[in-house]
Amino acid sequence: MSMNAIGIAGSGLDVNRQWLNAISDNIANMNTATATSGPAFQARYVVAQAGAGTSGVFVKGTALGDSAGIIKYDPSNPLADAEGNVRMPDIDLGSQMGQLIMAQRAYEANAKVVTDAQATYEAAIAIGKSN
Amino acid sequence: MLESVSINALSSALAGLSARQTATANNIANINTPNYRAQTVSFESALAASVQAGSGVVAPRTGLSLEPTQLDGNNVNLDTEDITNANTVLQYKFASQAIGQELTSILPALNVN
Repeated sequence: MSMNAIGIAGSGLDVNRQWLNAISDNIANMNTATATSGPAFQARYVVAQAGAGTSGVFVKGTALGDSAGIIKYDPSNPLADAEGNVRMPDIDLGSQMGQLIMAQRAYEANAKVVTDAQATYEAAIAIGKSN
Repeated sequence: MLESVSINALSSALAGLSARQTATANNIANINTPNYRAQTVSFESALAASVQAGSGVVAPRTGLSLEPTQLDGNNVNLDTEDITNANTVLQYKFASQAIGQELTSILPALNVN
């Protein structure tokens, strides 16, 4: 009898927390301008993969967004080139907010699994106690 | 007496419910994993047949959910998983209480306390 639900839910919490970290980093850097000579800030996307059998989920790696970004005319920016352009990251706030909600809901669902699993384990511990 | 059909059946049920909880936890952990297929655990009908046959011992069977897949190839339905999980916890509590009573009832025969 394997009793691993808490560990599995823990792996789900871990993946979703990393996803939340990536999203908040992406949103925090939405307006991070860079010089046109270099790459734009690249959004990070957490790539999840299921473990074999019932071994939960893990972060396989991180995918990066477009490094070309968007060229924006902003001559007052100290990073602007001779034509007055800077490179802005190509991050869609709507998409990031959507992902934020998905990651948050998934985190909550995994946290609930931990609570439910605890109830099961407590019932198992109580087997054989006189009632 | 420790090998009675009811104790066998209850411990098979506990094992099956525990496997189901593990599968549900795995499904919820993979709620956003692309191409993940939800797992299901079945043992009830096999257990009923086994009890009829006078054994009560069955191993839980793992299968794949037939829910339709979403665009990312994932078919975990959070509502279904949540309900399954709540149900599993209650059934587990019920079965563990029943097996506890079953075991306590034979303690006087063994003259232990």
